[in-house]
Amino acid sequence: MHIYLSAFGFGLVSMAVIAIGAVGFTMQFGIANLINLAYGDVMAASAFVAYGINHAGASIWLGLLASVAFGAGISLVLNRALYAPFQRRGTSHLGMVIVALAAALIISNVLLAIVGPDDVSYRMSSGPVIHLGDVVLTSVQVAIIVIAVGVMLGVHLLLTSTRLGKAMRATAADPTLARSCGIPTARVIDAVWLITGALCGLAGTVAAMNSESFAASSGSGYLITILAAAVLGGAGQPYGAMLGAVLIGEATELSAAALSPEYKEVVAFVILVIVMILRPQGLLAKLGVLEAAG
Amino acid sequence: MTYYLTTLLVYAGVDVIACVALNLQFGVSGLVNFGFIIFQAVGAYTAAVLSMPPDTANGGFQQYILGLKLPFPIPWLAATAAGGLLAIPIGLVVLRRLRSDYQAIAMLVISVIANTLVTNIRPFLNGAAGLSLVPAPLSEHLDSGSLAYQWLYVALTVLCCWLVLVVANRIVNSPYGRTLRAMRERERAAAALGKNLVALKLTMFVVGGSAAALSGAILVGFIGLWAPASWLYPETIVIFAAIIVGGRGNNLGAILGALLVPVGFEEATRFLPQIGPPGLIPAMQWVAIGLLIIGFLWFRPRGILPEPRRRVEGEA
Amino acid sequence: MSHVGATGRGERSASNPPRSELGPLLVAQGVERHFEGVRAVDGVSIEIAQGRITGLIGPNGAGKSTLLAVLAGTLPASAGRIWFDGEEVTRLPVHRRARRGLVRTFQLSSEFAELTVLENLLVAAPNHRGDSLLGALLGRRYWGEDERRLVEQARELLDRFGMRGQESEYAGNLSGGQKRLLEVMRALMLRPRLLLLDEPMAGLHPTVVRQISAYLERLRDEGLTILMVEHELGTVERLCDPVIVMAQGRVIGQGPMPLLRRRREIIDAYLVG
Repeated sequence: MHIYLSAFGFGLVSMAVIAIGAVGFTMQFGIANLINLAYGDVMAASAFVAYGINHAGASIWLGLLASVAFGAGISLVLNRALYAPFQRRGTSHLGMVIVALAAALIISNVLLAIVGPDDVSYRMSSGPVIHLGDVVLTSVQVAIIVIAVGVMLGVHLLLTSTRLGKAMRATAADPTLARSCGIPTARVIDAVWLITGALCGLAGTVAAMNSESFAASSGSGYLITILAAAVLGGAGQPYGAMLGAVLIGEATELSAAALSPEYKEVVAFVILVIVMILRPQGLLAKLGVLEAAG
Repeated sequence: MTYYLTTLLVYAGVDVIACVALNLQFGVSGLVNFGFIIFQAVGAYTAAVLSMPPDTANGGFQQYILGLKLPFPIPWLAATAAGGLLAIPIGLVVLRRLRSDYQAIAMLVISVIANTLVTNIRPFLNGAAGLSLVPAPLSEHLDSGSLAYQWLYVALTVLCCWLVLVVANRIVNSPYGRTLRAMRERERAAAALGKNLVALKLTMFVVGGSAAALSGAILVGFIGLWAPASWLYPETIVIFAAIIVGGRGNNLGAILGALLVPVGFEEATRFLPQIGPPGLIPAMQWVAIGLLIIGFLWFRPRGILPEPRRRVEGEA
Repeated sequence: MSHVGATGRGERSASNPPRSELGPLLVAQGVERHFEGVRAVDGVSIEIAQGRITGLIGPNGAGKSTLLAVLAGTLPASAGRIWFDGEEVTRLPVHRRARRGLVRTFQLSSEFAELTVLENLLVAAPNHRGDSLLGALLGRRYWGEDERRLVEQARELLDRFGMRGQESEYAGNLSGGQKRLLEVMRALMLRPRLLLLDEPMAGLHPTVVRQISAYLERLRDEGLTILMVEHELGTVERLCDPVIVMAQGRVIGQGPMPLLRRRREIIDAYLVG
């Protein structure tokens, strides 16, 4: 029983880490209508930016800030230079997936070329240990949970209370209509990529903080877990992504306790495939992922 | 020198078969088989475990199923059949009416799952270490180290290539091929004209899957080993890149793509000096493939040899 | 061919074998179609008489295209039953219905863009020896004869519709009107008994509309039955008898156009003049 409770505790951290990434990812899908398969690799690259700063002597939290800025910048450039031109041309959904895969290949291998293949980790202390009943967490892990909650609240406030947020929702629902209502969709999209890119960078560093080590190749693992959470919750739905993160976070940790740690990733993969095949619209449905019938 | 040539020819043959197979599925029929590499892997593993002795032999340092020590050509025939059989459940997955990008991702993830499972379940196919000491075909009767054997292997590979190409050509240049292309263009309209989409898709999955599996059998018989690292999901992307570059839907385009991308890249970089740390060159290869895909999709999405326009004699 | 009454001419063509009864070709009973809470088709019961062009009109969102899709089999009916030529087809998938002679065209152009015009027609032909894996593998010697015959048939059709010159054009490069003609010709290659046309004239130049209308009338005179969704009421008046009016997923009237024009509720529903 004890092992499941502590797994539950780890699940809380996992879900926090996944949520930050999944919300950013799903907003890119919902608003820019793009499945950004390079997301995981941008996460990994951002984690390495933090690593660089960290190993140059600074605190990891400073590195975290740097990675956020990096993620935002790279994501904006990625869209402006690559995705947007192809989308403007009317490239099919499948074509965009291939473009995104190519981008992921490029980013992960440039990263590999720069940092090398070895596993690395941050120089940081995990801080004092906190006991919540049977659940044992380090203060860093608690900090991660707090950050995640803050991000969720921030995104919620952004979407519901700010002009930009409302413009984002309008663009997500119907870009042509939004444009004819005077919404500067191009600037809105830029803002989306900056914000979600920032979340991507944050997620990458936080994920790296939460694991014993990471490497240039960690990107694809991050991507699939996040994809699983986003699809499970309903692609394009930020609240769905949060829900998906909760479920995937707990599911992976509990199954790691029940089966074995090697299967942690497989559980996320299997959930993703099953959801995609049986209920592709996810739990909180959004239109557009099933082929239009008739 | 000639060992290099024979190796090159065998690899080229394997890549040609793989590219022609994927071209039939994706280029001609529009099937989004992003799990393609699984089929090559199934063929390789099947040929291996059927031609190897039981795992208790050789000091038992490998664990795997079967090990029936069957003589050539049974392992190759069985491998081809295995690819065809696997195509049925996988094909059924793709048949769900999903948006094409979702389908692609689902297939990609399936290939990752398969790879992870094989890696983690050691008694199945020897896990991460993979299978080694796979006997070369006919090695009980011939000296598989000799140059003559190498050329025999090349001949076998060419024979298989030729078979696959005959099948592919007959399919593509027939009314059946026309129906497949119509399905690729606009599925709903094809169905409304009486075409049974499910049957068409499953059939092409089986045909392409069998050919891919054959390529795996040929490869494993030549290099004698096969491990999860040989069939990671980016390998599928390489074959897709080959088709995008060479020409979608065109068998000649698939051959050209095979020679330019998987073969061309490997060979071009073989002769580069070792710059930087080891692993830099392979990483740059992948970057180049990514750039190649993006470049072609932007400037020449139909590829170097696009699908020919089919005219009939006696036009007005 | 027995339907003399509607057209005054009893012409029979080789593509429409004689029917012994004068019963309706298509019967729909209580057909419904719901999707995500919307009742696009809400209990429709109609009969389509043979040898006539029946119109299907109604305001936007009335469910006309959905009904057509359900009759054709592209969409499954949520409830109700459908009979075609005396046989129940409710559960039959779209490709089987097409093979039995119940053929539809689409509202948005659905030509096979990267195939030539001729290939678009050839691909529609059913029962081609070369249109199976085995047939393809047996090679041209096996299916060459069927192909030659079909090419002739397709070229005849192209001549009739005046598009022989575009035979080797990519279908994607045709003009709007030509694409519509191609769509109809393609459907005709299947030798349909009932043709479901979804807004065949939408967005076309009036000259082309007249041209296509003339073709449709000729086809009807040769024995083809047509059910046509159409917005342009002038065309409907000229071509269609009877006319079915739908609104909000239900049938609110059937009959000849002049009679319908007089009914208050139909005018309210949407007729403008």
